[in-house]
Amino acid sequence: MTPPSPADARAAAVELRGIAKRFPGTLANDAVDLTVRRGEIHALMGENGAGKSTLMSVLYGMVRPDAGSVRVDGREVAFADPGDALAAGLGMVHQSFKLFDSLTVAENVVYAAEPRRFGLVDRGAARRRVRELAEEHGLAVDPDARVGDLPVGLRQRVEILKLLHRGARTLILDEPTAVLTPTEADALFAVLKSLAAQGRSVILVTHKLREVLEGSDRVTVLRDGRVVAGLVTAETSAAEIAAAMTGRAVELDRVHAPGTPGDVILDVTDLATDGVRDVRLTVRAGEIVGIAGVAGNGQSELVEALAGLRPVSAGRVALLGDDITHASATERRAKGLAYVPEDRHAVGTATAASVADNLAMGHHRTSLSSRGLLAPAAVRGHARRLIERFGIKAASPEVSASSLSGGNLQKLLIGRELAHDASLLLVEQPTRGVDIGAVRNIHDQLIAYRDAGHAVLLVSAELSEIRGLADRVLVMYEGRVTASYEKAAADERTLGLAMAGGGAGSPAAPSPVEVGD
Amino acid sequence: MNHITRTVRSPVAFSVLAGVVIGALFLVGTGADPVAAYGAVLGGSLGADGIGATLTTLTSVLGLALALAVPLRAGLINLGGDGQLVLGGMAAAVTGLYCPLPAPLTVVLALLAGMAAGAGYAALAALCENRFGVPLLVSSLLLSYPAASFASWLARYPLKEPGSSLPQTRQLPDGVALPRFGSSTVTVGLLLVVLAAAAYWFTDRRTAFGYEMRMTGLSSRFAAYAGVERGGLALRLMAVSGALAGLVGAIGVLSFPYRFLDGSLTASGYTWTGLTAALLAGAAPVGTVLASFFFAVLQVGGLSMERTTEVPRELTQVLQAIVIVFLAARLRFPRSPGLTRLFRGRDTEQTPQTPQSPQSPESPQGELA
Repeated sequence: MTPPSPADARAAAVELRGIAKRFPGTLANDAVDLTVRRGEIHALMGENGAGKSTLMSVLYGMVRPDAGSVRVDGREVAFADPGDALAAGLGMVHQSFKLFDSLTVAENVVYAAEPRRFGLVDRGAARRRVRELAEEHGLAVDPDARVGDLPVGLRQRVEILKLLHRGARTLILDEPTAVLTPTEADALFAVLKSLAAQGRSVILVTHKLREVLEGSDRVTVLRDGRVVAGLVTAETSAAEIAAAMTGRAVELDRVHAPGTPGDVILDVTDLATDGVRDVRLTVRAGEIVGIAGVAGNGQSELVEALAGLRPVSAGRVALLGDDITHASATERRAKGLAYVPEDRHAVGTATAASVADNLAMGHHRTSLSSRGLLAPAAVRGHARRLIERFGIKAASPEVSASSLSGGNLQKLLIGRELAHDASLLLVEQPTRGVDIGAVRNIHDQLIAYRDAGHAVLLVSAELSEIRGLADRVLVMYEGRVTASYEKAAADERTLGLAMAGGGAGSPAAPSPVEVGD
Repeated sequence: MNHITRTVRSPVAFSVLAGVVIGALFLVGTGADPVAAYGAVLGGSLGADGIGATLTTLTSVLGLALALAVPLRAGLINLGGDGQLVLGGMAAAVTGLYCPLPAPLTVVLALLAGMAAGAGYAALAALCENRFGVPLLVSSLLLSYPAASFASWLARYPLKEPGSSLPQTRQLPDGVALPRFGSSTVTVGLLLVVLAAAAYWFTDRRTAFGYEMRMTGLSSRFAAYAGVERGGLALRLMAVSGALAGLVGAIGVLSFPYRFLDGSLTASGYTWTGLTAALLAGAAPVGTVLASFFFAVLQVGGLSMERTTEVPRELTQVLQAIVIVFLAARLRFPRSPGLTRLFRGRDTEQTPQTPQSPQSPESPQGELA
């Protein structure tokens, strides 16, 4: 799919030269050069905090650089806001979509640039326009559908149509596949390739190596605010990109040896809650059970119900043989449950509080206090121990948790929960948005926890993570557990099909194994 | 040095300073001498003639500021301070009038009755939220009005002093009063309120309950995730809050004029001054004490300024308002990129986005003065 003519021959669509941007305490961009040519898909990669978002914010007029120049189509520009950028033919699809759920597709697409007739919005013209655009670019979507009713994959199409309607010649996509099934992701890349073939440019901000290798023409890698590699995709490898991102050789996609399961720790029978039905599963001591599934198929609801944060409408949950179906979160924790939630900023930590206070949560009524008194010295000592044990990089226990990087915040959260030494650990998306280096550390911690004889229920959208860690894999689709695989049988293709609903329409779909213990 | 820089740059110090500067501009604009006016405020409130009045005012303002700070620390706002205050005062008056025990015991009982009345009534507001889903903000505010009306009715009809033209109860019997310091109007009530502040500080910093309260205020979702039950916490904090408001009411009745006079407890608007002080301090214990003192000085000093200079005391209210506006604006600064750049040196850490998420306990409002 790589364009046969060398991309170098083409004119630059976007040219960033010597971009520098300093934020308090960090140099987010340091003399960054980036050239995106017409008709290419250019991947921008880097770990969290490498400066990708800052660079894209500079390009999109949301942040003013301290130094450097931006050229679009050969002309030097200085955008004051995203509106200017859009007018110059630059459009961005944000990770969280900016759409009106209650309006139709056509209304969303033409918003702020409506076709008019006698001063009024011409709805007929709007619908026609959407149909034309959709047809031209292979982005089939019903112009009259309400956006709120559409699946995420289609909403993303609406975002792209919106930019095309506004005449965007360069599209920036921020982590576009984070919420898509593998099939939807493939469809997205087909669209992007056809856009590139028409001479449009695409900047893909992502951390997924596989997509970059399959879908991009060139790759620019940022580390610590600097460009550390400019690679032609056809001539590079996942290992080379990963090494550039981390600054060292990284072993990717390690598959850990299976554990030795013991007694049943968690036993869930016919559980139902909002968006979850008929879930039966067991997790044994010394075992990691992985739940794979596209975001929004009931995994979060299931875990919240297990953690005691969401009422159970039917079924039974037993922990260590005791019925905890209607127990409170506190009672479950006392019984032996620890929980690493998906949203570490809003739920798993209080970022405005100090590192020490964050590490004390849950331990504050048990090991750290006596008769209700909580000695500040005990809290600090506990924090120091965990900081050391889990390699959390924090200036001191007193600094606010908001000063930690994403990876360190996650280490804090996981460390705090592991320190409970609970029989059952619920973990959601343990490495989402975490540096590759920290991923390895976190995976090792989870495996060590399992090997120490604890039960772990892991929910992750990263198939490689599930495959690497889990001893058994369950797939959730539309609120039910639809398939179960032993470690050896859980290859990426099989799981991908099951995640998309059993691979409907595909003759190669595996018949789901009956979920058993 | 670093500590001092941080204090000077703290948003609280900045807001107070901005209020003083803008107030001075107002004064100059109206042709008054700002130095003389501010001098009158300080001299009138902290000088030998004024300090008694300031400490008496501080008793009420600090008591109510604590009452509002306690729930605010967990992100809850009790808007029913007036109702709890009045019920506390009425309960103390009734106890003082009808308790057959010796006077000193009656005083203690009257204080306890005032606290119990305020606590029970505030807890009712929390129950409305926990049981029926009425937001605390609404339930506490709306419950305040019938309480005030009920006390007013008692003072006007069943408990009215015979022969008086005022809506007031009889005077409490001799000896049923809080001891005073010398000949001043300052009573033991100030000590009680300061003790309450100390207890609040201790709970906040040194207990598991205080920890849960702070974490709930910083992130209610985080606290809920870790098993802190909001309903129970709200009920307990509101009871404490109401008890403190009721205590202030009881202190008011057990001081001059030693009776319940309809409207007198709420006329000065101390509940709102208290709320302002608690917000200014982000509900932090030491900060709440300092902010209360600041407002007591303004309140008393403003009167004195009006007497000695031509400047109306409303200026001190303008000052108060400016401080609050600046403080409220500070909470929004980080959202605007331009202003973020401007304030970059000042707020390197993420500042809390709402008044319900008070500053981290280490923040330097402790060094405000």
